[in-house]
Amino acid sequence: MDEISLIRRAQEGDGPAFRSLFEGNKQRVFSIAYHYLKNAEDAEDVLQETFVKAYHSLSRYRPEKGINFGGWLNRICVNASIDTLRKNKVRDAESLDAQESLYVPANPGHANPEKSAHDKEIRETINRALNRLSSRQRMIFTLRHYQEFTTREIAESLNLTEGNIKKQLFRAIDTLKKHLRRFILEDGYGL
Amino acid sequence: MDCKKAKNLIPFHLYGELNEKDKLVLEEHLQTCRTCLEEFQATKKVFQLLDEYRPAQAPEPDWEKSWQKIQAGFGRERSKRQEHLSRRWRWAVAGSAMATVLILGILIGKYWFLPSPQPLPSPSSKSISAANLQPILTSHLEDLKPLLLEYAHYSPRDQGAKTIAIDEKIVRGLLLQNMLLKRMLAEKDPAAAELLDDLDLVLKEIANRPSQDQQAPSEIKDLIDRRGILFKMEILKTL
Repeated sequence: MDEISLIRRAQEGDGPAFRSLFEGNKQRVFSIAYHYLKNAEDAEDVLQETFVKAYHSLSRYRPEKGINFGGWLNRICVNASIDTLRKNKVRDAESLDAQESLYVPANPGHANPEKSAHDKEIRETINRALNRLSSRQRMIFTLRHYQEFTTREIAESLNLTEGNIKKQLFRAIDTLKKHLRRFILEDGYGL
Repeated sequence: MDCKKAKNLIPFHLYGELNEKDKLVLEEHLQTCRTCLEEFQATKKVFQLLDEYRPAQAPEPDWEKSWQKIQAGFGRERSKRQEHLSRRWRWAVAGSAMATVLILGILIGKYWFLPSPQPLPSPSSKSISAANLQPILTSHLEDLKPLLLEYAHYSPRDQGAKTIAIDEKIVRGLLLQNMLLKRMLAEKDPAAAELLDDLDLVLKEIANRPSQDQQAPSEIKDLIDRRGILFKMEILKTL
């Protein structure tokens, strides 16, 4: 059954139809929350909050308005994630060390201590740079770079204009570039 | 293309988001501008570093457990909203009902108890016109509406919503307000008087049924539906 039919049935109170919508979107919603919050427990809470809110607001969702269901869910998830981050701000700052361990090289396993130290340095720099971004910029960068959403999809998810998303994404990348300058120069590129 | 615009387009070129025209113009510019080419390569290197050191994959949650918690949240969220609504309703109605009773008291005092050489008018006297009472009636119906809606939207299938929390003092205040208005409008506005009569029944049901009576919300909802009270209220407001 296609998504629109499932939505219509769920809007009429069909529980299994809503369960199918959950099945089809759970991975992406969880992933957005996890990449943003960097904590599996918080991400699970946001996943649950997103679907409970979606269930209660489903009657107001109108596919004919041009917003796809995934984008609509993303918007709920993004707002819930930002709220959670705000609530956890103190804890978030205190757990910086724990967050750093989330950034791992794609090909680990080398035994060279020098390379290990270098990797650790890059990892910490990326993490520091990401933490320097505003919560909105970080969400936009996470959605574009790690979740591979297009700027149009992000605009739809955050209820912002595409121009605004591009501007914030550009600034986020500029900040990251400034923080990673040392590692870029190692490769001989100017900046 | 100037360098500022080229610089702005570079990240979107790397993300493959440029249209053919912008892509072509940028690529031509990069062939002739060394500064922008270096900027392009530096941005590319940043992307490579970010990809190489991307966040670890999230551990897979227990989806079944998550779904169960979501299902439990369906009823909890609704009952939280109802509780919030009830709390807001109580404060709003308490204030408004006090004001209405006060105005009614002043009106009754003015027309019934002021010394007059003429015989005392009866409550159904023409001295208070229906038009004078219209704002009070409207305000009274507005006070009652949230309470009636709470019953009208009641669904016994909702978890956590077996009963509706009410404040007995407020309901009794509304009942008194309703009785006073009913007496004053008895002959002046038969349609309003009929509605107030129906409301009298509903309010008495609400005030007199024990709060733990799980049948009460459904029966009161039926009464509101059968008498078409909400519909009559809307009609009366538009007149």
